[in-house]
Order: sequence, then C-alpha cells, then structure tokens
Amino acid sequence: MGGGSADSAPPIGTAQIDKGGCFLETTGVKASAAPQTGRASVAGRMNVGVAHSEVNPNTRVMNSRGIWLAYTILVGLLHVVLLSIPFFSIPVVWTLTNVIHNLAMYVFLHTVKGTPFETPDQGKARLLTYWEQMDYGLQFTSSRKFLSISPIILYLLASFYTKYDAVHFLINTASLLSVLLPKLPQFHGVRLFGINKY
Amino acid sequence: MRPGPGGCCCRRPLRANGCVANGEVRNGYVRSSAAAAGQIHHVTQNGGLYKRPFNEAFEETPMLVAVLTYVGYGVLTLFGYLRDFLRHLRIEKCHRATEREEQKDFVSLYQDFENFYTRNLYMRIRDNWNRPICSVPGARVDIMERQSHDYNWSFKYTGNIIKGVINMGSYNYLGFARNTGACQEAAARVLEQYGVGVCSTRQEIGNLDKHEELEKLVASFLGVEAAMTYGMGFATNSMNIPALVGKGCLILSDELNHASLVLGARLSGATIRIFKHNNMQSLEKLLKDAIVYGQPRTRRPWKKILILVEGIYSMEGSIVRLPEVIALKKKYKAYLYLDEAHSIGALGPTGRGVVDYFGLDPEDVDVMMGTFTKSFGASGGYIGGKKELIDYLRTHSHSAVYATSLSPPVVEQIVTSMKCIMGQDGTTLGKECIQQLAENTRYFRRRLKEMGFIIYGNEDSPVVPLMLYMPAKIGAFGREMLKRNIGVVVVGFPATPIIESRARFCLSAAHTREILDTALKEIDEVGDLLQLKYSRHRLVPLLDRPFDETTYEETED
Repeated sequence: MGGGSADSAPPIGTAQIDKGGCFLETTGVKASAAPQTGRASVAGRMNVGVAHSEVNPNTRVMNSRGIWLAYTILVGLLHVVLLSIPFFSIPVVWTLTNVIHNLAMYVFLHTVKGTPFETPDQGKARLLTYWEQMDYGLQFTSSRKFLSISPIILYLLASFYTKYDAVHFLINTASLLSVLLPKLPQFHGVRLFGINKY
Repeated sequence: MRPGPGGCCCRRPLRANGCVANGEVRNGYVRSSAAAAGQIHHVTQNGGLYKRPFNEAFEETPMLVAVLTYVGYGVLTLFGYLRDFLRHLRIEKCHRATEREEQKDFVSLYQDFENFYTRNLYMRIRDNWNRPICSVPGARVDIMERQSHDYNWSFKYTGNIIKGVINMGSYNYLGFARNTGACQEAAARVLEQYGVGVCSTRQEIGNLDKHEELEKLVASFLGVEAAMTYGMGFATNSMNIPALVGKGCLILSDELNHASLVLGARLSGATIRIFKHNNMQSLEKLLKDAIVYGQPRTRRPWKKILILVEGIYSMEGSIVRLPEVIALKKKYKAYLYLDEAHSIGALGPTGRGVVDYFGLDPEDVDVMMGTFTKSFGASGGYIGGKKELIDYLRTHSHSAVYATSLSPPVVEQIVTSMKCIMGQDGTTLGKECIQQLAENTRYFRRRLKEMGFIIYGNEDSPVVPLMLYMPAKIGAFGREMLKRNIGVVVVGFPATPIIESRARFCLSAAHTREILDTALKEIDEVGDLLQLKYSRHRLVPLLDRPFDETTYEETED
C-alpha cells in the first residue's frame, strides 16, 4: 500500500476562496504529503460501519466489475449523440468525440483532487488527483493501462476518419498529449507552474 | 479422513497441503464437478476437516446491473455538481456550515469536496438511517415518525409513533433484548444493590465480585481456562491487540475485518498484511512468505504471527473457515485471534459460537474474543484463553488500566442470559432460542433465495445481506419497507464496494414464523416493485444441496 505520496513537503499556499457563500474547490488546508512510517493512529471517522478495511475506496473503483464496459458504453454513447447532430460531418464528429472525451478525462482524472467522502487516512489523498490515487499510486496496473490505451485508440480512429487532415491532426494530437502526459509515472504528483497544487 | 455424517468419502487426489482436489480448480478454488452433475452426494473435502457441509455463496453481480449502477452514480454525481453550482450562485439555498463573511479571506475552515458525497447523495436518502426508536428493540419496535420539508436537511417529528414495526435490523440473535422477564428482574435487583456506576477501572477499585462471577461463567461457557471482560466491545479489540503484539510482529488480517480490529492492529505497531476474505490459499501464501522471508529488510524471523479473523462477518454474512485456519495455524505455528462478536450465542448447537459450530476444540484458538452486545442483550466484550494470557492481559491491557469496568446491572444481564443459554437456570428456554434461531435462519434464507434475490453469505449465518446494487434502490428499499411496517438496515458506497450496496437483515430467535412470513411477503412485493430479483440461479424449492463448496462464480456460469 504505497501512500501515493506527492513530493517533498509543499510550502504553505494561499487559500483561494470564492466570494460567494459556498465553496467550489478544495483549497487552503495543507495536508502533509509525507508518507507515515508505521501505523498512524486513526482518529475521527474510522471505517465504522463499513464492510471492508479499505482506507480509500476511490482506489478500487476502476477495478470493479463492469466499469470498463460502462466506460466504453459511455464513450460510444457520446459518439452516437454527436453523430446524430445534423450539422457535423463525420471528421468533425470524430474530432469532437476525441476532444470531448479527452477534456472530460482531463477534468475528472487529472484536475479534481481528493475524495468526495471522508477517508480515515487523515487527508493523504486530499492533494492527489484521481489518477494518482488509483491503486494507491501503484503504476502500470491494468486499470491504468486501460485508461491510457483508450484515448490512444480514440485518437487512431479519429485520425482515420478525418483522413489525416492537417487541422484535425493538430487538434487531435494536442488533445491526446494533454491527456497522456499526466499519466506518465514521471508526472506522478507533479504540478506545473503551481497550477492545481492545493 | 473421516467420512462426513451420512455420506461417503469419495477418493480424490490429495494435494500437498492436504486439500482434496475435486474436479476442476479455478483460480485456486475447488469447484465440485459433482455439483454440475447434480448428484446428491455428500462430498467431504480437505481431508475431513469439515464435519458438516459448508455452503457459502457470493453470486457475482450481473453485468447489466453493474453498468446501470455506475450510470446511476454518474448521474448522481453530475446532478451533484449542478446543485453545487446552483448553491454557489445562490439560486439554491445552501444548508451547510459556511464561514462568516469576515473569515472568508483566511485559510478556509471547511473542505468542500470532501463532503460532496454527504451533501449530494447521502442527504437525499438520509431518512433511512438514525431513525429514533422509542421502545425496546425486540422483534417489534416503535419508531418515531419524522418528516422533512427541506429534503432531509432537517427533520420534524410529527408526533406519531409507528408502532409494531418488524425489526430486521437489531443484532438481537437470541431475543434477549427485552424489558420483561428473568433477565430484567435480576438486573433490577442488582441495580438496587450495586447502583449503576462503577466509577473506577478494574485495577483500582472497580473490580466487583460480580465481575469475577461473570468471568468464571464466561470461561466455563467458552470452554477456556480463564476470561476477562471489558466495558466496551470495540475497546476490547482496539485496546487488547496492542497488548498482545507490537513492533516486529506480523498481523495477518482478513480483508473485511471490523474497524475495531483494524484500529487495534494499527495501534499495535505491528506489520499488517491482508489476505483475501476467507481465502485459505491467500492466507497460506502469506504465512509461507512470512516464514520464509522473515521481516522486510533484516530477514529476521517475526517475533509473533497473529491471524485476525472474525466468526461471522456482519456485512457479508460469511462464516470463517475455522477448521482450515486452525490447521494452517498449527502447521505454521502462528497464533489465532478469533473475534466472535456476531457468532457467539448465534451459532453452534449449544450456542457457544463458531468453535462449537464446527465441533472444534476451544483450546486450539489462542485468543477468543467476543462481545455481549449481540446475543446477550447487554454491552461489553470479553477475551478468553489460557490463564497465563488472561493474567497478562489483566496487567497489560489498556482497558484494564484506564477504562471503567462493566456496570453491575449489565453484568447481571449477561450472567442471567448466559445461564439461560447454557440451561443452568433450569429451563430449556436457551436451547429453544438457539433452535428457533437456526430454523429461522434456514427458512428465511431459503425463501429469499427461492424468490430470486441475491443473498450473500453462509447458509447458517443469521446475518442476511440482500443485494440492492443501485444507489436509488438503497433509498427506495428502506422507505418502502418502512411504509410496510418493516425496519431494515441499508448500506451503500463508500461503506461497501461501489457496486455492492445491500440491505442487511439480522434474524432473531424472537421472530416467530408469522413475523417472518409477513416480512417475506412484503420483501417479495418490494422486490417485484423495485425489480430486485437479480439471481440467475433459481433454487428449486425444497431441493437440499449438501455440498460443502463455496461458489465463487466467474463470468461463465
């Protein structure tokens, strides 16, 4: 169970707080990302009433039964919906599928941090994106491979159906890179220019 | 290799570790080919370790249901984001705690995303939990009716009391949750004599003669040399495991162990390795690796290896494979810590728990732990074992040194109920309760399986999880059952794996056949209404299947 530790202790950042009443982003509170040796005693809500001893249930979701199929069906559905819009030609539809899929993947896997529920790990995962939380930071598991290969497959299909047109190529390649680079193990926990750090 | 009762012992090829290979082996689990052939053949496996059939089944989620469950969670998440956005724009009223205007420029006090699930999923179906009851939770219970006008953010009591709700949620296995009868009278007498509070720890001045009496009784009940009792079941685990193991020891803990065991293991400082739920191959592999490789870097041998298992796992309804665990423990010279919170009183022909159920020797289990909360209608926990162990725990356990001891009326309740179960009060009430529970369990499980629901767990476990899978059905099931005057416990993600939300029924000896029939009728109706009958194996009614196999099914049936 690797802690998925991000990096050396990040400096205290400023809090980005909305001017509105309710918050949108997790901000502010600095969670120590240093891995705890030994067993930290767990305080607060402690897996009480739960059916497993999993510290962060988020890590197991992509390994559950049927989720790859659900993901594929969702992408297929997106494509069919785009196809049914009369104005778009086939190349445009494929490029749009590719771009929207990569955008959604970037937002949900590489932007949103933390867990939508409280975990008993005292906030170890609070600064980690979902991709970094998967399997507790273990690289090259089958879910990670699946999620890395699916944008590539979409890219190949999109390249074929756009007949390798230059403009489409540029858009698709940029989109693919934006979603492949964060998946590299070297980019685990890396935040460029301090974007999305806290 | 003894043949099982009433059956023959088939010759099958033996494997190195004594497991009998019986037909095809898939993923390390032995599947009986006799099952496919449909023979009614009593096949004993594992060298005759099991004296009775061990039927456990965890039917796999149907693929369509799994996909729809993810779609359900996806839709809920999208709507959650939408609602959060509306709250941010002040279009929708924001009920959560937020900071004052003056504090907004400082570091934020509240983590927003961490409460996403609570805000957007849990709150919507919150009326299924924390229902206030206002009578003793026996077979029937009275629930205070509440209403919410702001979508479960706040509740108001209407003043009505829903009377006589069938209680399928209390851990009342032997029906001792009562406010009349011998136990209550005895407890009232002791209350007058000793008062309620002990006001001290066991080591100081809180060691009453009642505690000594109770501990002797518990030791004789379990068949061990000595026992020690504590005021709280959770604290029994979390405070005693650190006293038993420490740094340099290895803990092998089941995947689905309770929070108290996990906390105790973490507090102890030992290395924890987790084996797959009830999977003896996984446990053996861990044991072998531990002994061969020793501690991680120094390769020194481990000081102690402690196996933590539970008797009945309350969320799965599965029973631990105790004969195999004991065989492994003896072979690799590890220690066994058995948490019988749910199984003491509920299993076994004399109610002595899972050791009695399998017909094993209590001396084989090094530390027998249990609680009085479930079958005895009281509170507190105990640890039983050898005299040296208990003497050591009397001085070294945190609970003994720092925690208040059991309250005297509670002790008397335990003593009376235990004597009743053992038959020492001169009546056969205990035996009847145990038999009634076993009958109820078999009947209820069989009927539910015949109806076509997916039920997890062992045939004999009084905990019956009924799979719901989809998030909306969690709320719907709880509410529909309450409308029909039945109170159930429902559990969803993240307390369970994401596609395995369930409703959990806890059977009781206090449930009569009529109560069970009423409940089953209503469950049938709700199951048809919500389309919960997912099972692809319709049990032919009254066909007994005396196979001891655990069916872990793969995608191909």
